[in-house]
Amino acid sequence: MSVTVVIVDDHDVIRVGVRESLDEEIQVVGEAHDVDSAVAEILEKRPQVVILDVHLPGGQGGGALDVLADLKGRIDGTRVLALSVSDSAEDVVSVIRAGARGYVTKSISGPDLSDAVRRVASGDAVFSPRLAGFVLDAFGAAGGEVAHADEDLDKLTAREQEVMRLIARGYTYREVGEKLFISIKTVETHVGKVLHKLQLTNRHELAHWAAQRRIV
Amino acid sequence: MTTQAHRPVAAPLARRQGVPTAWKVLGGLALLTVAGVLSVGRWGTEDLAPWVVPLVVYLAGLGVVWSPLDGAFGQDARRLDVAGIFRRDAWLRLLVGLVLGIGALWWFAMWDFTDNGVARAIVTPLVIAAGGALLLAPWWLRLIRQVAIERDERIREHERAEIAAHLHDSVLQTLTLIRARADDPDSVARLARAQERDLRSYLYQDRPSIEESVASAIKAAVAEVEDAHGVAIDTVCVGDAPTDEWLGAAVQAAREAISNAARHGTGPISVYAELTADAYEVYVRDAGPGFDPQAVPEDRLGIRQSIVGRVARHGGGAEVRSAPGDKTEVMIMMPRGGSR
Repeated sequence: MSVTVVIVDDHDVIRVGVRESLDEEIQVVGEAHDVDSAVAEILEKRPQVVILDVHLPGGQGGGALDVLADLKGRIDGTRVLALSVSDSAEDVVSVIRAGARGYVTKSISGPDLSDAVRRVASGDAVFSPRLAGFVLDAFGAAGGEVAHADEDLDKLTAREQEVMRLIARGYTYREVGEKLFISIKTVETHVGKVLHKLQLTNRHELAHWAAQRRIV
Repeated sequence: MTTQAHRPVAAPLARRQGVPTAWKVLGGLALLTVAGVLSVGRWGTEDLAPWVVPLVVYLAGLGVVWSPLDGAFGQDARRLDVAGIFRRDAWLRLLVGLVLGIGALWWFAMWDFTDNGVARAIVTPLVIAAGGALLLAPWWLRLIRQVAIERDERIREHERAEIAAHLHDSVLQTLTLIRARADDPDSVARLARAQERDLRSYLYQDRPSIEESVASAIKAAVAEVEDAHGVAIDTVCVGDAPTDEWLGAAVQAAREAISNAARHGTGPISVYAELTADAYEVYVRDAGPGFDPQAVPEDRLGIRQSIVGRVARHGGGAEVRSAPGDKTEVMIMMPRGGSR
């Protein structure tokens, strides 16, 4: 399946690199280098996926968050994949909470990035090992907190924790499925639920709170 | 980047008003004076309590003294023109206000409101001191704001200098080195990686020391291997605590596993370390080519001694999962505080 993409990054080198590393099934229909040009480009081109750098100049100074806030409710069918070098839980978690469907680091390989773009385009969530680690921290997995019902938004279920741990260990979705004897579809369902919890939980200041939780 | 000048929303309103504030104030004062004169004419001055007139005069003086500060509080503290508060007609206003205020206080001091000399000796100085303090408050406030602004400036300046010094000592030096060795890709890559790590830790976190934090210890071990072998390693840490003897042993074993992965395996290499309330688990994984752990000759001590043996001595367990043509994963599990 062919996927249309807009690449948003303030560094020309990175934009070129991302464009080069995507495989031929993925069409780059536009590029942007700051908040305002990103919003304009996305509204005009209506791509299926936006590859969005977390730290962007322009706008109100909120980078990717400004873009997501600006486009909220105005782009049906466009999904956002965040791309960053950031090591900070706050950056990563807040961009997911603002509506991004996935987070990958800039060290990701070309085939993996293409795979992530396709996954996001089909409506699934994409977790890099780093994001999985932040999520485990934020939901108190290391402290042994487990949800007993799926509806408990403030905790992860035991199964969700298992999936997150394997992703954090560097497993692909397919390998996670093999390891837990479940289908890839089921893995995707679990990851989607985790993303949902991350966006909906009432734990205020989740990222900040995650930083506090690090001491077990 | 073009920045649009923000036109204040209320600008048209301000233009439409068109009456200077001073005139409005004067008009109001004139009306008040007329009202005062009329009421005095109507009821005479006998029933008026003797403290009313000095009080009114004092309040008027206070208002006049404070009026130059109008607007000084709404400004951006960094742009506040502190000296500008007292300029032009402000001096005149100050003079008038002070004369009024001091006159009122003097009047109060002359007034014998009671026959009790002791009470007067206590109350009068108190009132005069308080009144004087209120009159002098603008200067005092100005001084406080000035000191605060100067201190902020100093702090900002200091931070700027710190950042500049750090960039100069690190990034600039590294860039020079990279330019000098442009024809040696290995050392350029190594320099860039080391510099990137340094800059990250500077930008994103005040990283605790290796003794304070087992996560820092793992990251330091990963960094050593990255530099020694010139590979990129994805590291994720969950949970953290000070590094004790057992956690330290786990980190040593993990370092051995990571350097094995860098030596024999292919990337991407991922390291995941999770500290829970009762155990510390580290996973080191590479993308192949794999080997048969059973087929390792007896005299090779890397896995047997440095990983499995070291962890076992501290009451933990380690396991190597691999097969030829498959990915390799080393799992290290260390109970907290040994075999409690």
